[in-house]
Amino acid sequence: MPYFTDKQTVLEDIFSRYPQTEQGRRSALMPLLREVQNALGYVPEAQMEEISTLIGTTATEVKSVMSFYSTYHTIPTGKWHIQVCATLSCALAGSDALWDDLTETLETVPGEVTPDKLFSVQKVECLGSCGTAPMLQVSDIGYAECVTRKKLHTLLEHLKNGGEFVPDTRVPVFMQGGQQLDALENEVGGRTADLEPLPMPG
Amino acid sequence: MTMTTPRPITSALDARFKPTLYARVGKENSFTLESYRADGGYEAVQRAFALGPDPVIDEMKKSGLRGRGGAGFPTGLKWSFMPLKDGRQHYLICNADESEPGSFKDRYLLTEDPHQLIEGMLIAGFAMRASIGYIYIRGEYVLGAERIDAAIAEARAAGLLGKNVLGSGFDFDLFLHRGAGAYICGEETALMNSLEGLRANPRLKPPFPAASGIYNLPTTINNVESFCAAPHILRYGADWYSSMGTEKSKGNKLFQISGPVARPGVFELPLGATFREIIYDFAGGPLEPIKAIIPGGSSTPMMPWNDAILDTPMDYEAIGAQGSMLGTGGVILIPQDYCIVNATWNLVRFYAHESCGKCTPCREGIGSWMTKIYEKLVRGGGKPGDVELILDMSDNIAGKSFCALADACLGPVVSSIKLFRDEYDYLIANGKSQYGGRSRWAEE
Ligand SMILES: Cc1cc2nc3c(=O)[nH]c(=O)nc-3n(C[C@H](O)[C@H](O)[C@H](O)COP(=O)(O)O)c2cc1C
Ligand code: FES
Repeated sequence: MPYFTDKQTVLEDIFSRYPQTEQGRRSALMPLLREVQNALGYVPEAQMEEISTLIGTTATEVKSVMSFYSTYHTIPTGKWHIQVCATLSCALAGSDALWDDLTETLETVPGEVTPDKLFSVQKVECLGSCGTAPMLQVSDIGYAECVTRKKLHTLLEHLKNGGEFVPDTRVPVFMQGGQQLDALENEVGGRTADLEPLPMPG
Repeated sequence: MTMTTPRPITSALDARFKPTLYARVGKENSFTLESYRADGGYEAVQRAFALGPDPVIDEMKKSGLRGRGGAGFPTGLKWSFMPLKDGRQHYLICNADESEPGSFKDRYLLTEDPHQLIEGMLIAGFAMRASIGYIYIRGEYVLGAERIDAAIAEARAAGLLGKNVLGSGFDFDLFLHRGAGAYICGEETALMNSLEGLRANPRLKPPFPAASGIYNLPTTINNVESFCAAPHILRYGADWYSSMGTEKSKGNKLFQISGPVARPGVFELPLGATFREIIYDFAGGPLEPIKAIIPGGSSTPMMPWNDAILDTPMDYEAIGAQGSMLGTGGVILIPQDYCIVNATWNLVRFYAHESCGKCTPCREGIGSWMTKIYEKLVRGGGKPGDVELILDMSDNIAGKSFCALADACLGPVVSSIKLFRDEYDYLIANGKSQYGGRSRWAEE
């Protein structure tokens, strides 16, 4: 069944962000792929075809672009797609051991889905959150940060028991009332509020 | 009596240093329009309207701000490259792809203070006569995307985006575009291809984006932090901005630190603050003995851990003089007992995975040969002559690839060999490293 048939408002919203030209239509490719993947967990061939018609290109083209990016999947993923950052700052915080534990606990490897359809796993590169290493990303929902062994197992149990994933939103920035805190939590430097804006010209 | 110019501000401990970029982080609802306005938000863009486009560009030039995406190109100068009244649509793009390992500063600018970025882009759009902007955010930044989307909607409803912004006669609209997990999309021309729904291969330059960018139209692209500096420069003036920093590196910057330190995170410091300041005064010092510092994201050459380096000011020139680069300001500390070949292999693997495959030196050199030889080394199968082979390959790749990705990979490769040749030799001679290649993972 075509995915977008009953989703005209979604389509209109996506296309409205780009120029009403051939090139502009093509720009909608990535948001359309994400839309499908978030709903289905992957992008089936039929939807590549459907998207190609929407943006005026071929399914082969769509597939070629998809293969460029690591986010898009052409095979089904689990309800929870767990992505482990393998890059340096996370490796220094133990991501190798984390990965081993995760795959052993779930008894799965990349490309597979667990028999209960709940989990799939993937190693990914730096998630841009090296200050809260080691890092996990869960589906297209958000991050689990500073993941310890205990935290990982609590999370997996929670998801197995039908729980929802609630992303972490730690902000490793140490600011108080516009003033920065040093390592001993002392306020250092001046307060931003004390800066005087220039008068309006004219 | 002689007049003395005041000593420039080069430390965040200096009582005169007042952080601005992250000043609102930690406030309740800092990401809402109401909160931003209560702190004087959107006054700087009104000042820009009152000044007119060219004086805004002059002010940016005078401030000395250099691009915070890694390359450090002067922002005001870049803005002045946009053609004047040529009748064509001009575009503005914000590079929020933040994917260079060790970098995580833009993330919190996006989630905690999205209106600061929108105001920065409004100022830039006004100065460059661009009426459409895109924020290209890496796909993994979900909360950032939500906050930016919500902020754009709020700004539109309040007349801060759309036709005739705040009655100025200037039209500007802004859209969010989410990436999909490819580091190369941070390279500005690859980003434009990605935004056009194509494979994200870099484009040949020239033409430069100001002449022909997105949809072949004049385009200026800046990093999130560069745009976020603009409202403050307009609000407090170029002289305030350039009172911070060193002779050629002006202003404040977000520095990140990760690896084994007591308090990893992002710190706002004036350029010219030392490594010692961020590592000890702000991050609370290392948790174990350190042997190498990556100063500005994974592509910047490693530097040895010693007093001279710790006392080096973090600015473009001083780090350059030590053979490395300021980059994104993403400091990574590598501990003494972590095998350096393994650490380097981790980064080689990253760049190999992210090579777009367009040009041969990168696709074959990094993507295939370099990866294979490092894999062999860390598995204990290295042979005498392998290090020479790596250096020879590096020589052949350096400066020969289509974009800077291959050179980025050579940063850690060549520097690690230069600094830690003994570790390579030991690994090759003994089939295993004298240090471990795995870090302990915290139990709780
Ligand atoms: C391989 C590669 C990756 C890059 N990644 C980023 C990035 O993630 N974010 C960014 O702002 N700039 C990145 N850049 C730099 C951009 O090409 C460009 O110089 C920058 O966005 C310009 O903005 P600025 O002048 O404000 O720094 C990258 C460059 C290369 C060669
Ligand atoms: S290295 Fe894992 S988030 Fe950056």
